[in-house]
Amino acid sequence: MMKLSDITKVYGKGLLEVPVLHGIDLTIEDGEFVAIMGPSGSGKSTLMNIIGFLDYPSSGTYELNGEQIASAKESILAKLRNEHVGFVFQQFFMFPRDNAIKNVASPLVYAGVSKRERTARAQDLLIKVGLGDRMKHLPNQLSGGQKQRVAIARALVNNPTILLADEPTGALDSNTSEQIMKLFTQLNEEGKTVIIVTHEEEIAAYAKRIITIKDGRITDDRRVIT
Amino acid sequence: MNVWDSFKIALSSILNHKIRSILTMLGIIIGVAAVIIIVAIGQGTKKQMTDELFSTDKNAIDIYYEYIPPEDESEMFWEEPVLTSEDIQTLAAVPGVKAVIATNQGWGMMAHDDEQGEMQITGVGAEFFPARDIQVVEGRALYAADNDGLNRVVLIDTIAREKFFKETENPIGEIIDLNDNPYKIVGVYESPLPEQFRNTETGEMLMPRSVISMMFGNREIEQLSVIASDAENISETGRLAAETLTAEKALENGQYSTNDFEDYERELNTMISLLTLLIGSIAGISLLVGGIGVMNIMLVSVTERTREIGLRKAIGATRRKILLQFLIESITLTSLGGLIGIGLAAIGSILVSEFSPITATVSPIIVLIGVSFSALIGIIFGLLPANKASKLSPIEALRYE
Repeated sequence: MMKLSDITKVYGKGLLEVPVLHGIDLTIEDGEFVAIMGPSGSGKSTLMNIIGFLDYPSSGTYELNGEQIASAKESILAKLRNEHVGFVFQQFFMFPRDNAIKNVASPLVYAGVSKRERTARAQDLLIKVGLGDRMKHLPNQLSGGQKQRVAIARALVNNPTILLADEPTGALDSNTSEQIMKLFTQLNEEGKTVIIVTHEEEIAAYAKRIITIKDGRITDDRRVIT
Repeated sequence: MNVWDSFKIALSSILNHKIRSILTMLGIIIGVAAVIIIVAIGQGTKKQMTDELFSTDKNAIDIYYEYIPPEDESEMFWEEPVLTSEDIQTLAAVPGVKAVIATNQGWGMMAHDDEQGEMQITGVGAEFFPARDIQVVEGRALYAADNDGLNRVVLIDTIAREKFFKETENPIGEIIDLNDNPYKIVGVYESPLPEQFRNTETGEMLMPRSVISMMFGNREIEQLSVIASDAENISETGRLAAETLTAEKALENGQYSTNDFEDYERELNTMISLLTLLIGSIAGISLLVGGIGVMNIMLVSVTERTREIGLRKAIGATRRKILLQFLIESITLTSLGGLIGIGLAAIGSILVSEFSPITATVSPIIVLIGVSFSALIGIIFGLLPANKASKLSPIEALRYE
């Protein structure tokens, strides 16, 4: 469970100060499927970065499973990024010279897992996301949808509790988007907490809880009853 | 993530930019190669000079006359005291002296049958042969009687034997012509001189020094040296012998002195250290410039790979891991440069040894120092870029275009 209380974020200093988030209060339980919506510049990506330990809030508290981490050391945040969350980005972000297996296994390198186990786990996950026949391909030999599947497999490889996706379908056609979103739904059903940042209604429709942000404030938080 | 993983990432990043990497390494390569080859040549030269100075006469020391003019006299004309066989006996009695070698020199035109050539002649006594360990390969050495009786006998060295006589011919007992005077060959000897000091064209010969004195008008004893029974005490024995001789001759305006090899050696060492220091500082500057080049390229690399760094941080790389990765990359770069430099230096040393009289050898210690020094440069000049990389904020790095 993660609990954010009165989180603010200000970029820049002095006259150039740009407030992005104004006092966000948000609690997300384990196993939820959350979509964070809002127009561009609303602060939704900043919120996701803070949730995913990529950025520090300017003020406020962040409790993860009962522990305070808002002002934790950088090395602790790195460990949390490695073990607790998996990121999926709009631009995929691959290591261009590494094949699919190596890309998927890359977080395990920082977790200190042996090479044999890294490869085994990466292969299992590539099969799970439907890329069993693309394991040795380099990123530039893969389509956008395939790259996003590799990225999802990478996000899953260290068995995190939370999957964070920032506009995961932003660079994909609608057909591929649907497949990717079905994969997220499946992963959520298997017990992962999934948090997706998007500005598309159709994508948000897959989630069970939709949070809307405008000008750095939560304006709507509703659960979808299915 | 261990060091080996970092090293593999570093190596692939270097190999992905081959030309850039080689250009970056060039400063290090040249610097390391220059240092090693100069040190190798320096050591080779030193060894050779030491060998030349001390090879044949490790325990022999020259004694020479030194004129000390009286204070009120400015005249530069002076005469050396005449040394005799009695003086040699006095010197031989000095404690620590094993043998005394007294020689004089002459040049002569030797002719035999149709062959002729300039010969360097050394006038010696019977004591010369055991003292200098002269190997007589044919015939006999000189006797004391040869000197006393003014016998016109000579020994030729193996080079002269080869020039003037056929292999099958027996030179012993042959009469040769030297400056139009007849002499009898009584022996053939192997010259003890190092090859580069030998007259390889016509060879050399030995004859009784009294005969040289008589035929050429030289003094009988021109060079004097003593051989110490203990090489360790050579300087002391020489000094004692010189003092004894000075007292014996009751000299007023002069004295006998010795050439101290230790002074030579010290001077030689100073010269070589000075040279090494000079070249070392030049090489140091080259390494410094090379190091700055490495830093420059590493900064470029960090900027180019900002997104990669962001991604690595997003998947859990700590600052330390990123720092280590870039540090290992710069160490790999400079060490590789160092290794290439050592390779070039080794080739250079072989070439120098092949085409010059100096034997340049690359010592393992120098190789070790070369590699560790280039690795050190990698650390020093990689620290700033690596630190910059490690401090990048992950989201800003990921957003970098």
